[in-house]
Amino acid sequence: MHEEWTDKLSDYLDDELSPRERQAVESHLRGCAECAAVLDDLTRVVERAQRLDRRPPRADLWDGIAARIETRGAAPRRVSFTLPQLAAAAVVLIAASAGIAWQFADRAASRSADIARSTEAQSRASSGYEAPAEREPSAERSNIDIAHVSFADAQYDAAVSDFEKALQNGRRRLDKTTIAIVEHNLQIIDQAIEQARQALETDPANDYLSGHLVDARRRKLDLLRRAAALTIESD
Amino acid sequence: MALSADTPIQTGIETDVALAARGDASAFERLYRTHVARIHSLTRRMLSSDEADEVTQDIFVRTWQKLSQFRGDSAFTTWLHRLAVNVVIERRRTFAIQRERMAPDPAVLDSLPVAPPRADLTVDFEHAIGQLPPGAREVFLLHDVEGYKHREIAVMLGVATGTSKRQLHRARMLMRKHLNG
Repeated sequence: MHEEWTDKLSDYLDDELSPRERQAVESHLRGCAECAAVLDDLTRVVERAQRLDRRPPRADLWDGIAARIETRGAAPRRVSFTLPQLAAAAVVLIAASAGIAWQFADRAASRSADIARSTEAQSRASSGYEAPAEREPSAERSNIDIAHVSFADAQYDAAVSDFEKALQNGRRRLDKTTIAIVEHNLQIIDQAIEQARQALETDPANDYLSGHLVDARRRKLDLLRRAAALTIESD
Repeated sequence: MALSADTPIQTGIETDVALAARGDASAFERLYRTHVARIHSLTRRMLSSDEADEVTQDIFVRTWQKLSQFRGDSAFTTWLHRLAVNVVIERRRTFAIQRERMAPDPAVLDSLPVAPPRADLTVDFEHAIGQLPPGAREVFLLHDVEGYKHREIAVMLGVATGTSKRQLHRARMLMRKHLNG
């Protein structure tokens, strides 16, 4: 046996040699029966290895696994959306954002924060809803800060209810176009909220959906707050 | 909302993976039963029969915990198997089995027992694999039995590709001796 050649036989068998090396090995094998026999043996070894069966354990291991995964709780949930679903969600949010921006961009800059504070005070008095701390003046001043609002259902619903009442009471002070835009955007946001709720029923621990729902609810509260502020501004 | 309306047609395994990832233990049990033979065979050959049950359980518990990280870039079976190999390698490292894995040992070529006169050739072959030096056995099992490439094995084991090739050839030559015994 020629070790310098047999050492190359596994690489030859696995097609790991360069064309030049492969040609040299084949040339040697044609003239060396001993090395050719080694190659045959190695081929048999590989074939046997590939034919090895897979045997299950003698005892069923599932009970032990089940006990451990039940102890540690359910597997972490994962997010799973199709592209069309994500696109639809994006369209909803873009439409809502665009509508809100179009309606309020030029009107809220100077007074909305002050008006909103007065509206908040009314809401706070009746619902216990805690308003957030005032932001420093900035380009986003017109966007009333509701980032710290708790979106627990009772508190959120009370705040929404207050703003809806304020909007309803001041409705006559707004022109029809403004009312139509506000209602259209509320409808879009409500659809987004409902879709997120339904999706969460299917996948209740989905962090993305939870965040999406909170975001949509925040948008609704923000829109209602701004609309309510407009009714006061129009007095 | 029908979240599944636009999803592609799923196989039974993919469906069970999706269900298990949402916490469905029954779906995970089906995945276990589908794959346990392959995983247990891997652990039994890479480690030992004594350790195989315990490590197989560890692998499936680890799989349950990591299901949320499975993104479907590869088949679930491929992902699971790779996870299993990692657990096994980690186990071997923990017990410092691999300390001598790559140590040169020329005498080992003569240490492998020749084929004993058993009727079950598969058992004989498996027994012979179990007698291989740890490093050669690892590479032989990963390459010839499990079908991994040298570059993949090199990454798994943290060795050079050339080392993986040498260990494989060494293992095959030892197994050849067993077959011809």
